[in-house]
Amino acid sequence: MAELYTALRQPLIQGGKGFAQVTSDVCAPMERRPTGLWWTAFLISVAALLLGVVTVAYQIRTGIGTWGLNNTVGWAFDITNFVFWIGIGHAGTLISAILFLFRQKWRTSVNRSAEAMTLFAVMCAGIFPVIHMGRPWLAYWIFPYPNFRGPLWINFRSPLAWDAFAISTYFIISLTFWYVGLIPDLATIRDRAKPGLRRSLFAFFSLGWTGSARIWLRYETVYLLLAGLATPLVVSVHTIVSWDFATSVIPGWHTTILPPYFVAGAIFSGMAMVLTLMIIARKVMGLEDYITLRHVDVMSKLVILTSSMVGLAYMTEFFTALYSGNHYEEFTFLNRAFGPMGWAYWIMLSCNVAIPQLLWSRNIRSRVYLVFVISLLINVGMWFERFVIVVTSLHRDYLPSNWTSYSPTVIEVATLVGSFGLFFSCFLLFCRILPVIAIGEVKAVLSYGKPKEEVSA
Amino acid sequence: MSLLNNTRKTESAPRPFALLTSADKTRYWKSLQEFADQEAFQAEAETEFAQTPLQIEADPSRRAFLKASGFTFAGAILTGCSQAPVHKAVPNLAQPEEMVPGRSLYYASTCNGCNASCGLLMKTRDGRPIKLEGNPLHPLSRGGLCAAGQASLLGLYDSHRLHHPLVRGMQATWEDADRAIGSQLETIRREGGPVRFWSTTVTSPAREAVIRRFLAQFKDGQLVEHDPLSSSAILDAHMLTHGARVLPGFHFEKAFVVASFDADFLGTWISPVQFSRAYMEARNPEMQKEAFSFHAQFESRLSLTGCKADSRTVVAPEQLRPWIAQLAALLSKKAGAVLPGPALPPPAHSMDALAEKLWTARGKSLVVCGLQDVHAQVLVNFINHTLGNYGTTLDLAHPSHQHRGSDAALQTLLEEIRSGKIAALFLHGVNPLAQMPRANELSVALKKLPLVVSFAERQDETAGAAHYVCPDHHPLESWSDAEPVSGAVSLSQPAIRPLAGTRPVVESLSTWSGLRVSAYEIVRRHWKEQVFPRQNAEPSFDVFWNKALHDGVAAVTARPAGARPFDSTPVAAALSQPVAGGGEFSLVLYPKVSMLDGRHAYNPWLHELPDPVSKAAWDNYACLSPAAAARLSLKEGDVVRVDAGADGSLDLPVLLQPGQHDNVVAVALGYGRKDSARFAEAGPRWLNWRKPVGENGLVGTNAAPLLRWQDRSLTYTRSAVRLTKTSRTHPLAITQSHHSLTVPKNLAPSSGSTRPIIQEAVLPAYLKDAAAGASHHEVPSQDLWPRDHANDGHRWAMAVDLNACTGCSACVVACQVENNIPVVGKDEMGRRREMHWIRIDRYYSGPPEDVSVAHQPMMCQQCEHAPCETVCPVLATVHSAEGLNQQIYNRCVGTRYCANNCPYKARRFNWFDYPHEDRLANLVLNPDVTVRSRGVMEKCTFCVQRIQEARIEAGNRGAPIADGVIQTACQQSCPTHAIVFGDIHDPGSRVSQLSRQGRAYRVLEEINVRPSVNYLRLVRNRPEKKSEGENHG
Repeated sequence: MAELYTALRQPLIQGGKGFAQVTSDVCAPMERRPTGLWWTAFLISVAALLLGVVTVAYQIRTGIGTWGLNNTVGWAFDITNFVFWIGIGHAGTLISAILFLFRQKWRTSVNRSAEAMTLFAVMCAGIFPVIHMGRPWLAYWIFPYPNFRGPLWINFRSPLAWDAFAISTYFIISLTFWYVGLIPDLATIRDRAKPGLRRSLFAFFSLGWTGSARIWLRYETVYLLLAGLATPLVVSVHTIVSWDFATSVIPGWHTTILPPYFVAGAIFSGMAMVLTLMIIARKVMGLEDYITLRHVDVMSKLVILTSSMVGLAYMTEFFTALYSGNHYEEFTFLNRAFGPMGWAYWIMLSCNVAIPQLLWSRNIRSRVYLVFVISLLINVGMWFERFVIVVTSLHRDYLPSNWTSYSPTVIEVATLVGSFGLFFSCFLLFCRILPVIAIGEVKAVLSYGKPKEEVSA
Repeated sequence: MSLLNNTRKTESAPRPFALLTSADKTRYWKSLQEFADQEAFQAEAETEFAQTPLQIEADPSRRAFLKASGFTFAGAILTGCSQAPVHKAVPNLAQPEEMVPGRSLYYASTCNGCNASCGLLMKTRDGRPIKLEGNPLHPLSRGGLCAAGQASLLGLYDSHRLHHPLVRGMQATWEDADRAIGSQLETIRREGGPVRFWSTTVTSPAREAVIRRFLAQFKDGQLVEHDPLSSSAILDAHMLTHGARVLPGFHFEKAFVVASFDADFLGTWISPVQFSRAYMEARNPEMQKEAFSFHAQFESRLSLTGCKADSRTVVAPEQLRPWIAQLAALLSKKAGAVLPGPALPPPAHSMDALAEKLWTARGKSLVVCGLQDVHAQVLVNFINHTLGNYGTTLDLAHPSHQHRGSDAALQTLLEEIRSGKIAALFLHGVNPLAQMPRANELSVALKKLPLVVSFAERQDETAGAAHYVCPDHHPLESWSDAEPVSGAVSLSQPAIRPLAGTRPVVESLSTWSGLRVSAYEIVRRHWKEQVFPRQNAEPSFDVFWNKALHDGVAAVTARPAGARPFDSTPVAAALSQPVAGGGEFSLVLYPKVSMLDGRHAYNPWLHELPDPVSKAAWDNYACLSPAAAARLSLKEGDVVRVDAGADGSLDLPVLLQPGQHDNVVAVALGYGRKDSARFAEAGPRWLNWRKPVGENGLVGTNAAPLLRWQDRSLTYTRSAVRLTKTSRTHPLAITQSHHSLTVPKNLAPSSGSTRPIIQEAVLPAYLKDAAAGASHHEVPSQDLWPRDHANDGHRWAMAVDLNACTGCSACVVACQVENNIPVVGKDEMGRRREMHWIRIDRYYSGPPEDVSVAHQPMMCQQCEHAPCETVCPVLATVHSAEGLNQQIYNRCVGTRYCANNCPYKARRFNWFDYPHEDRLANLVLNPDVTVRSRGVMEKCTFCVQRIQEARIEAGNRGAPIADGVIQTACQQSCPTHAIVFGDIHDPGSRVSQLSRQGRAYRVLEEINVRPSVNYLRLVRNRPEKKSEGENHG
């Protein structure tokens, strides 16, 4: 049976690589001078980052009034970006933790960069709750810490306080998980580096890795445990983020479907982002043998799955609103689709539900550029999903006298651009400094030197 | 010095347990050790704490002594070299009994915001007035005070006020000005040239007497009174029909049927606070029941009064007189007489019904007319006479002195000025170059006059053309009096020493008459000689004076107008007048509740106050009905040229105003004033900041050039104006963009398209069922959580009577003054970031050509289950034991989650640091209320500072807080007492009683946030519709 299987399925890593070949392939980008393409991408990203830094500095100096918010719409780009970035992060955790527990071996080619993406996305996300505050210099007040003001505690009933816990937990666990996964590879680089600063730095971070069987055994146990620890986060973090909305009284926010809806959406958007990045990375860094069409294919299938879940959530939400008999809720959903901001809803619906359906066709899945375009559209669509939830629920709520519109100022747009700048700057640096593919793990799934039936699965 | 002299062991050294070493026989000891070994213990006790610097210096050397004494002498000499920053700090040798630092004192006075002269209570704190409130003892305003009146406080602290007289535009001393004016007046006295004193109606009898005495020195001295918002036609009509130029007293409280032709008596007409109160007295559904008054309004634009009307008919301005004539004809027929004059076309059906109602309520009805058209007013007099209203709802025995201006006299004066015949012109309270048409011509003529003296407080348009500007005190700095309605006299007293080198008009005039008398003496003498004899309740003048000063008002015998019986001869002439018309559009110039005639153009509070009908702030605009705008393909904000041919044109942004006649363009007066140039930089400056002023550098455009003279009346309407669209746009700051409680049709849920935010009932339904008009929403009665918060003490709550609320917005300004709410400027208002803690929501219902309007004051509802409280991550908003939803500014980090989660959107965020640089204007800040910084949330607190003050007061007296002692700022000033605050746990309190009434409902009750504000349903005196119950406003 296994024979038949392997005949149909291609090996995970192509090109008939040997172990040494894998090591040198993955380490190559770190050991040569950066290419012109890299420099171009990096400079653009840093420019975007600097733009973000300048606008955020201006906004903190002048006041949050430099955003297009008003008395009715108190959140818009800020929380949209926050939820968007947190969502992006989720695919990384899903790939590295859940797929690890499910023994999905194809994950080995993408998990490292997906985890890096998680970290950078959480960093981007974490900025927004801080800078969206009227007095960001007091942001530390939302953490419970011993103080001389009573002591004055935080409000444990507030979803924003839960957010602070959820996100900091998420960041710490993701960082730990990522770092632990990196240790064997750091040691590889250490061993390849000439004596000097680079070598001592990698030596320091590889924590004296020797690669002995005992160490590998311990290492794999820790990795498994951490995977177990990270798994609930895939569900919990976005559930908690969704409570920011679900626990409120605002129609369009106040709905119990939001937690599963948000988790599905997060994984959906994260998968799309992973696809986007992977497709770029395999081309730019010549990793076609490691990130193969099969990877694209598998991830495309995950995208279809999550897209359908999100689509189901949209339909359920609408149905619930119409069926509830709640005047305000019904109106909010009709207003979302057909009101003055209906365009955002239709962007969301077409990018998130309609277009991903194309991926049912193997023909399209096997065309990387088409998958790339679709993944970009999903990113756009998922950003708009959050925008629709945040803004269209707020802008026309209970009292018609409060109804307003919202349009972002240049400051808000620049801040969003800046967050992309931060994300890509970090990611590009990561590609230069650290191995984008888990060398140790990939070697384990190579067909090299193994009986055939063990290879596929 | 004692320590330096090594007197350490002596008794004078500060030392613990000094009692022990005193010469007393009785020794006290605290421990056995101390008792046993006194010396050792003492040495130890002295070194127990760180040594003081003096002890270190306590070295008996000569050197140390010289050092110390040298320093002391040098210090003593140095203090003599510098000038202390306080120039005149004379402590109170005996603290005045009532002066307690940090406690407010209230003085009664008279409002000067307009000519209505309402009663005032000036709240002063540490010697400076910080709030103006209504005086409940005043017989006309009865505790109410309008928006403009309250905002006039800011004028006191206006840094742009003139601080000294101006001689030909240059700063001068009073001596110089007096000498120059005095010598010119001397010449005039000798040569006998005409002297004119041009003023708005002088409501102050003392001032009038001074002016008349001053003018009597000249051979030809005349006082010319003119009101920029003139009622001259009413007086002229009474001259024709009753033989006396008199403005009758209006008694809306006695009128069961009110018909108003273009008179905005709840908004701006003559004395709106007084009329609102009286009008509402006849419209309390609980008290009046069947006798609830019926109000029909005929107007061309939607006025505040029209919003309240039970029946509102939109009539083109030219057609108003024919409609009045119709009514006159119908009523005279009922009276069994035939109206003289030409036959009239058959009346509209609605007119028949109104005539029937009026006829039934003979003697208890009132027909008023705001037109500046003597013929129309003659017809109105005829109608009121036919209905027998004179003597009941129209009072000629207690005539009003609020508007006495004569347009005819003004026209004569203008002719005299143009011909250059006048030797001296004095201007007080008027600003003709901004208020008159053809101002350029007038300006040239004024400059040619030998002597023009203005008493303007600021350098306004006319003051710039005057030879001398002798700035008057602010009314809060000076002594004065008023007699708005004959028999009701009130006093004005200063609340603060004059802040600048100004001088009251009466003192200036008396100085130029050769006497130097202070305003106080003038007023007091006038009262002694003229007012005191008009009463006999009080035999001693001093007691009478003190009582009047305390109460602010006194009742004296009225001076009847000396009217003759009604003479119907002018009626025929009035009926045969041709009706003007023609042209596609007619222009209607109207005053806004905030800007009135423009005298408050310097006042940022009033500019920031959204108009209660259009909801637009910081501008005037061309109001067009939606149909008219569609006809001209104009959108809101497009600039349109209002062209009146030879008289000029105005470029104004368009505002769509439902309920307006399709052929009318309405423009507010009082804008485009020089005084508003100061707002060119208003509002927080940032990257996308937009200029708050128009191309002229001013707020709005002055519409006065389009006023029109007709039959010696300055009229506010004009036919045949042309509207042309320009390519420009001018964004308007409109604070409400959805105007109806009905959601757009394409988004309407299946459960109905109208939200029960405002509930209303028609009178017949209400009489059958007090709860008529209730929404059928289920109110959650069960809670998920146990009621674990003991709340046995007070629980503060509010009741807002939507039926009594006229939307006048007095509460908005009251709240702004009381709670130090910053002015954010036009740009921020346009971005929907207004800071007002209380706002007036205005909803239209019905088709645009026949709209019904409802106003709803909306503030923090102090919910029992406050959604804002649970979501704040830092506990910056929490619930008090007395049911208040408190906001802690210090703790707020500004996540704005609370505002998002507020179903009423009553929370306000400090988007920027709003300017507080004007140190003079900062004196108006209420020291009881924190000035908020950038990045924190704020909202209505139910005036918690007032609750606290009452609690302390009650605690001092050892008595519980009585109901009605705490009045929130919005409640205090409400002319119609629509807002009631109190303890809902006290079953006898007013607020409890109101909340138990059939009309009570709570907004958004169905989402179980449990608001503490009960609204009382609006009742309209309209016939029952078939689809009653669907009527949610």
